[in-house]
Amino acid sequence: MNTKTLLYILKRTLLAILTVWIVITITFFVARAVPGGPFASEKAITPAAKAALEAKYGLDKPLMEQYGTYLKDIVTEFDFGPSLKNRGRDVIDVIGDGMKTSARLGITAAVIALALGVVLGAVAALRRNKLIDRIVMVFTTACISMPSFIMGTLLLILFAITLRVLPANGNAAGGLILPVITLSLSPMANITRLTRSSMLDVLGQDYIRTAKAKGVSAPKVIFGHALKNALIPVITYFGPMLAYIVTGSLVVEQIFAVPGIGRTFVSSITDRDYPMIMGTTIVLASLIVIMNMVSDILYKVVDPRITLE
Amino acid sequence: MKKILALMLALALCFSMVACGGGKKGEEGTLSVCVGSEPDTLDPALNSAVDGATMVSHLFSGLAKWAQNENGALTIVADAAQELVEGVVNEDGTVTYTYTLRDGMKWSDGKDVTAADFAFAWNRAASPALAADYNYMFDVVKGYAEMWETDESGETFVNPDAKLAVEAVDAKTLKVTLNNAVAYWNELLAFPTYFPVREDVVSNEAWATDPATYVCNGPYTMASWEHDSLITLKKNPNYVDAATIKLETLKCYLSDDANNQLTNFQNGDWQMIDDVPTNEMAALASKYPTAYRVVGQIGTYYVNWNVNEEILPATNKLTGVAAEQARAEIRAALGLLFDRDYICKEIGQAGQVPASSFVAMGMTEPDGTEFYKNAGSNEGFVGYYDATAIEANFKSAVETLKKYYTFDEATQKFTDFPTITYLYNTNDGHKAIGEYLAGALSAVGITMNLENQEWNTFLNTRKNGEYSVARNGWLADYNDPICFLDMWTTVSGNNDVQFGKGAHAALKMYNLDLTALGYDVKVENGTWAETYDVLISKIKSETDAAKRYALMHVAEDILMSTGCIVPLYYYTDVFMISDSVDGFFCNPLGYKYFMFCTAK
Repeated sequence: MNTKTLLYILKRTLLAILTVWIVITITFFVARAVPGGPFASEKAITPAAKAALEAKYGLDKPLMEQYGTYLKDIVTEFDFGPSLKNRGRDVIDVIGDGMKTSARLGITAAVIALALGVVLGAVAALRRNKLIDRIVMVFTTACISMPSFIMGTLLLILFAITLRVLPANGNAAGGLILPVITLSLSPMANITRLTRSSMLDVLGQDYIRTAKAKGVSAPKVIFGHALKNALIPVITYFGPMLAYIVTGSLVVEQIFAVPGIGRTFVSSITDRDYPMIMGTTIVLASLIVIMNMVSDILYKVVDPRITLE
Repeated sequence: MKKILALMLALALCFSMVACGGGKKGEEGTLSVCVGSEPDTLDPALNSAVDGATMVSHLFSGLAKWAQNENGALTIVADAAQELVEGVVNEDGTVTYTYTLRDGMKWSDGKDVTAADFAFAWNRAASPALAADYNYMFDVVKGYAEMWETDESGETFVNPDAKLAVEAVDAKTLKVTLNNAVAYWNELLAFPTYFPVREDVVSNEAWATDPATYVCNGPYTMASWEHDSLITLKKNPNYVDAATIKLETLKCYLSDDANNQLTNFQNGDWQMIDDVPTNEMAALASKYPTAYRVVGQIGTYYVNWNVNEEILPATNKLTGVAAEQARAEIRAALGLLFDRDYICKEIGQAGQVPASSFVAMGMTEPDGTEFYKNAGSNEGFVGYYDATAIEANFKSAVETLKKYYTFDEATQKFTDFPTITYLYNTNDGHKAIGEYLAGALSAVGITMNLENQEWNTFLNTRKNGEYSVARNGWLADYNDPICFLDMWTTVSGNNDVQFGKGAHAALKMYNLDLTALGYDVKVENGTWAETYDVLISKIKSETDAAKRYALMHVAEDILMSTGCIVPLYYYTDVFMISDSVDGFFCNPLGYKYFMFCTAK
């Protein structure tokens, strides 16, 4: 790795930190500007009780002081504070619990989407305009067009209610199978189409024709030359997609009652659980920033022609 | 060919994953239920949710508990106390109760349960230091007022060392003094906020989030808590009545999605679910005639006006008290335009009962009659108006409104009613009701726009009185009408109507004459604070039950005379429980009890 690449990585890392800091700052002030508060409920507590709670959690201090304390705590102690809603639990524990499930669900779905997508895309490209290509194209179009809540509900009705072979509850044994399928279908279809078009492009290139003319065996042409180069766009797609799947599986989590981070994220906002809003936002923003950065760097690794600046 | 092989392999992998799922059902002595989503807390003092109360009631044993007698009727019986004693009235009017704890009571870690644990728990639950939602459950106990007394800022406590008048005389004897006799005292003793906790256990602030530190004294212990997913309760061998507990394991699945709950019920994984999708209710009621249950719940769904909202026409010349009297008459008339039966049957679809009073159905008087049946005028119907006389109500409402607004006989519509906005929290059910109300008003030419807000914002807007008319609902905490009435005092945090605030504060228009009931109270043309607030404080200090209930009827009369409260229906509790389960019961507060359940 040359100094230019190292410099690039350093620059991107600093930019990533800056981005996350901006996200923290905006979220901090916007969350507190929204009407309502963490201690609001249908049965209102007395002003004295509310004041006692605000004092307990430091919410009675000036906003800038709270912001300063918050930044200091996360930077120096990696302390995200206590949840205001789930009393007695720390934000970092709640996020840890949710992320474990979300990561398992998201990464499994992403790997399946990648494996199936690349295979299907390559097959479709190699059998261009044949029956199998047509089937793959119709199938992927359906997967892309169908929203996950419809797909999830259909799978639930079929496997959990009619056939009764899989549980409807995400935490039961085998409970992640249906959510994984639901979550992987759309990115799988995207990867299939991406691989197919990129593969078709590569297969038409001069160097493939040259390789074939030199008498290189068909598998070597396909795997060694064509597929390797065709995967470059897939890599750029995969990083952000992984971040998206891990963070954006809220609908799927809801349908299958999967105890993931997506639900925590949304409920923290409706609850005005400020430390939890901050914690989930920081984790999710960092994830997206990091995945983008990694895929940009990987891009360079797989394609030496690209210069990083 | 190779690629097709790879493809088939990949697909085979997928389906093999599908095939190895499954495996479930029918563990002996185990019940799988869903009473709600992840509870905010399972600390009995901090909990304020119904689902949390259900779980806490399985984990702790207070002085009293809800039970079912041989006839299936619900009663409050002694639990940790040997008996529920009568109070002794002291010279100053306070009442002292002395309880003796049962022998052999142990915490789940084997230590003895003592009277000091109760005294500690009550002081903790009531204290400003904990600032629990339900701290006010102790406001009947002597010492509570001193605990919460603040200086003029309202935020600094004057007596930081104040304690409740509750004392552990010895390890087995607990003495507590109340400000006056309280009709619902035994019910309070069965309320989760009154359950005991041990000082060394709760000194760890995170004690209630981890089964390892969750020490309790009830029928069950917490075996595991998989957050957002499942809480498993196991029978507690240290529970004093362990021999009577039938169910070994209670699995409380955590879900906030009614559709997901229903799926799990339908495929047999869960035997009881506490939430049912509204749009499926009619179908489920006929498909599962015995499993689909609708029971009463003490609560009222209502619409409330902002008392300071101007609804008189622009040409109006009335001011001050006369204007407010007119507005009260108008608001009451508007409330008569709604067909409550339609709302219950076509929109609610959960067996709700059309309401004609604010204090909900299910509250009983000392003589055993129902409070709501004695409310209002009682002129051949129940409550403050005849909720079934829809056409007659409509006609009389239109006649009343004609006194203040221009009525176009040709179109049968009012032409100068100002446009109003109905505020509700984002929810399909509330929206449907809002749309119905707007439709009913537009039939007489009144335009009511609908505005929805997200829950937390909505609470804030409504509390601050930044609305004209809003959706509202109230569920009782205990079987006493006071919990519907003391929320409307001027300083109450739940006074969404804004009684006694803003312009309304200065209006001298309410009468209160309690001389017939033996009080030296007679106010003519007083403000809200001079009448309603005074009345509520009288109710709270009255020890004679019959008088107290008479006063509460007076309070509801004043409240309903303002027209600001428009009751629509009394809530019901809808849930599903498998026909295979025996021994289940629930109480009117919505708590479910599974400890005596057996599967057929």
